[in-house]
Amino acid sequence: MTSVSASGAAPLDDVPLRRSPLARMAKRALRHPGFMAGTVVLAVLLLCSLAAPLITAYDPYAQDISRRLLPPVWQAKGTWEHWLGTDKLGRDYFARLLYGGRISLLIGVATVLVSGTIGTALGVAAGFFGGRVDLVIGYIINVRLALPVVLVALAAAALVGSSLNTVIIVLGLLLWDRFAVVARSATQQIAGADFVAAARSIGCSTRLIVLSEVLPNILNPLIVIATLEMAHAILLEAALSFLGLGVQPPLPSWGLMIAEGKQFMFFSPWVITVPGVALVALVLAINLLGDGLRDVTAPENRS
Amino acid sequence: MLMFLLRRLAVALSVVLTVSVIAFLLLHLSGDLALAIAGPEASPEQVAQVRAQFGLDRPMIVQYGAWLADAARFDFGRSFYFRDTVAALVVQRMPVTLTLGAISLGVALVIAIPLGVLAAVKRGSWIDRAALIFCALGQAIPTFWLGLSLIILFAVNLRWLPVSGSATWAHYVLPSVALGWYAVPAVMRLTRNGMLDVLASDYIRTARAKGLRWPQVLFKHALRNAVVPVVALAAVQFGFMLGGSIVVEAVFSMQGLGHLAWEAIARKDFPVVQAVVMLLATIYIGLTLLADLLNAWLDPRIRVA
Amino acid sequence: MAPFAYGKSVLLAASLAVALPGAAFADKANDTLIYASDSEPENISPYHNNVREGVIIAHHVWETLIHHNLKTGAYEPYLATSWSWVDPTTLDLELRRGVTFQDGSPFTADDVVFTFNYVLTPDAKVVTKQNVDWMTGTEKIDDYKVRIHLKGPFPAALEYLSGPTPIYPAAYFKKVGLDGFAKAPIGTGPYRIVSVENGKAVKMEKSKTYWKGSPIGDPSIGKLEFRVIPDGETRMAELMTGGVDWIWRVPNDQAAQLQAVPNVSVLAAETMRVGFLQFDSAGRSDPNTPMKNPKVRQAISHAIDRKAMVDNLVRGGARVMNSACFIDQVGCTDEGVPRYAYDPAKAKALLAEAGYPNGFDIDLYAYRERDYAEAVIGYLRAIGIRANLQFMKYAALRELSRAGKVPIYFQTWGSFSVADASAFTGVWFKGNEDDMSRDPEVKALLDKADTTIDLDTRKKTYAQALSRIAEKAYLLPLFSYSTNYAFSSDLDFAAQPDELPRFYAAHWK
Repeated sequence: MTSVSASGAAPLDDVPLRRSPLARMAKRALRHPGFMAGTVVLAVLLLCSLAAPLITAYDPYAQDISRRLLPPVWQAKGTWEHWLGTDKLGRDYFARLLYGGRISLLIGVATVLVSGTIGTALGVAAGFFGGRVDLVIGYIINVRLALPVVLVALAAAALVGSSLNTVIIVLGLLLWDRFAVVARSATQQIAGADFVAAARSIGCSTRLIVLSEVLPNILNPLIVIATLEMAHAILLEAALSFLGLGVQPPLPSWGLMIAEGKQFMFFSPWVITVPGVALVALVLAINLLGDGLRDVTAPENRS
Repeated sequence: MLMFLLRRLAVALSVVLTVSVIAFLLLHLSGDLALAIAGPEASPEQVAQVRAQFGLDRPMIVQYGAWLADAARFDFGRSFYFRDTVAALVVQRMPVTLTLGAISLGVALVIAIPLGVLAAVKRGSWIDRAALIFCALGQAIPTFWLGLSLIILFAVNLRWLPVSGSATWAHYVLPSVALGWYAVPAVMRLTRNGMLDVLASDYIRTARAKGLRWPQVLFKHALRNAVVPVVALAAVQFGFMLGGSIVVEAVFSMQGLGHLAWEAIARKDFPVVQAVVMLLATIYIGLTLLADLLNAWLDPRIRVA
Repeated sequence: MAPFAYGKSVLLAASLAVALPGAAFADKANDTLIYASDSEPENISPYHNNVREGVIIAHHVWETLIHHNLKTGAYEPYLATSWSWVDPTTLDLELRRGVTFQDGSPFTADDVVFTFNYVLTPDAKVVTKQNVDWMTGTEKIDDYKVRIHLKGPFPAALEYLSGPTPIYPAAYFKKVGLDGFAKAPIGTGPYRIVSVENGKAVKMEKSKTYWKGSPIGDPSIGKLEFRVIPDGETRMAELMTGGVDWIWRVPNDQAAQLQAVPNVSVLAAETMRVGFLQFDSAGRSDPNTPMKNPKVRQAISHAIDRKAMVDNLVRGGARVMNSACFIDQVGCTDEGVPRYAYDPAKAKALLAEAGYPNGFDIDLYAYRERDYAEAVIGYLRAIGIRANLQFMKYAALRELSRAGKVPIYFQTWGSFSVADASAFTGVWFKGNEDDMSRDPEVKALLDKADTTIDLDTRKKTYAQALSRIAEKAYLLPLFSYSTNYAFSSDLDFAAQPDELPRFYAAHWK
């Protein structure tokens, strides 16, 4: 991150702190238990989902209804053949879980890409230009906050038909408010800084200043928001799936797996527990990572 | 102060208006209303008749004006599905959601504020860490999963509380915990941070130096100041809860606004959906306005801004 | 039993056993039977909904002219005391004297004439027109005698007059209109509606004015309450904790486990309901839809292992259906009707022949038994058809399908409990809004069969129509349904094969 050093954050004559800011950040990160735990869990979940075909030979869509609802291996009749058991249509539950992780992660990442782009653009514009632009954008943020998210997302999904794409777009269009708020205040702080004034004085275009000076410097808080919003999106998708308007079968998402496993909650609770634990682990890991990032990238070590 | 109030009121009103445009579009994007009202088997003549009768042949902007005038009088037309007016349906279901929201907020505050104070006072201790982990977990557990687990444990296994419905106060206990849980992390964090700031401030140090007893300092001086932003947050959280109660109402089969909206969405009964969106948004805007005014009243510096 | 029971469910059962004795099931003491189901009728007026929950209420609050005795198969006097055919299109009925509506007004010929003529008007917007459109009009002969004119000879007329054609109070209905009637309906039946709470509950109590000597007997339980609980698990939890006394459509897996719960009885019974796939063979959803191609529809018919679905998913008394009706209905037959054996290889070959060697993407719509729909999707996937499930509420889906926007529909039909093939084929193949194939040849054959009095000729004509339906694969019949009822052990309840719980015949033990 060259721009961080360009802003003159690291005084070179300070002997004990001679290491680069990046290295100091890395050191802080390694000492942060929440950050480390979140990173490790997330990395494991990510790897497992991406490498799903290497980890399991089962097709997550292949059903065999004569072998449905086999219990997992830790139960009386469980076998290693399907170590997490099979679902209500006899599909291997472990394979469903691995491939479902892909969908849940995809929803998190893609939603944040959409919402992050919208929120950052609005926030930077508001913070950079100030005045009327700021007023208008602040107003848009207010309107967005007034809309009940779950309700509007459900209504929109019902209008255009629910599918993976719908979920991503609808959530992306709804969850940008925190990006906008954070980008706005971060940009406001930067916009008055010397190096921005300097860039202006040498005649750099607004676009160039925003891209080369502003954005790199507000990236850290935005990344923190991105992780937290990712978790938020994954949870919301689960809620939408639960209400029947999220991802549609046969796609496996963890939210959908919980929703569909619900009918077995009294007598075969593992059907709902397995994806439930996975979902909680994922969201917890992302949140820990986000909180950790906030501490680690903070200008001075607050925690 | 009056200027500030008027300005905030104007902004709030214009936000309500913008939301009303969105709600109006929601209804009209849902398909040809004349077809929906006349029914799928209606002849083209019947559809045309309905179109004329409901004024659906007028320009969009005129229709919006008429709709807004009706909405201002709390008239949202008739439900496509139920044989009733939308206003009557909403009035029927409103009390359940308001009660649920209020109790949930109470639950959240009762858990979060003491926990936040404790975490701040015992900063860095195991209590603080446990509280933070509790927070992180709170944010990670899907509301519906928590709700279902509560049903299994307290309603089916222990039989302490009823499973579903909204007939008595006992019916509200489990749903309130499930919904309130959602707001605990935010309130707790804010209380903790507020307390930390206040405890580090000069006047608390002075108070302690003067020899005032610790509990007195804590509750009379510190908490009172730390709680100011929490009150504002609570108002906003209440708005979120009304919007978020849809999931909890579905799990516990409570016949509130959220449930009404959910069923209306599933049946494409958009006059109802639109009314609930409008209502929840308006309540939320009212609450944030209240929170702003409260903040301004408690902290005069804001008024200038 | 309980193939998957383990520690936790044993624990559950044990804790139930500890907590239960006596206290929880208080409804017997209140003489109130609370029954729960997932959806409510959009309009409680029986002609204005076509959901089962509505049919149940209809049979408790209203009465029909004729009673179909399921034990003997005979048609018995009900609101009509006798009837005679003047000719094949004219039916005279003598009406019962001394019957009153629940508001005290007497039941007379005016009520019958008003009801039947009203439901034939387009403004009445009757939801299932097939139930009434075999009549052309009804006239009053005297205060207790009416004459019904038929469109043509219709052998199933008595069956319809004993099912989906309840009699309304003419004077009251005219006074309050349909909206008022939906909120406070009255009939002549054994139970009187006390309150209708939209989306929540319908409360009924024993009618004080119910006439003596009715073929359905005297009701025993004092109050009925229908509660809408959309979530299946919540319904089950309510039953286990005594919050409700009766639920149905319990999935097989759970029914087996519920049997182990003390104070809950489980009963499985085959019903007249048939599950089937309906294809947009007319190409209304998209002029280029693969569903227009008969080979594609045949491929799908070969792709689904219906036997395995019956054995593993539906179970109970369910049977594979090979004909577009319920096999025990009068006129329904699968003899000589082409069958589609489970043969994925042949299905793939047919699909390739049709020009889709790599399959295609399509939406499959469903409104109940998500698991069955998903199993169908799984089978389709095995031959390369990537179907996405669109799961909706029935009312919304019905509208979508009638507007011609549904390519594949996992549909079910209980024939309004009418034991005649016309109650099935009439809805799905006679060119009405629910007919997705709209084949004039099928319609002509059915028109002929519906109006043929001679049973043998009638059966032969149905067989011809059903064969053509199967040949073209307009509709793939899957299986008959089995329903699991679960109810409080305090309750003496008997299930009937027509999927119509009769609470008036139930009593407390």
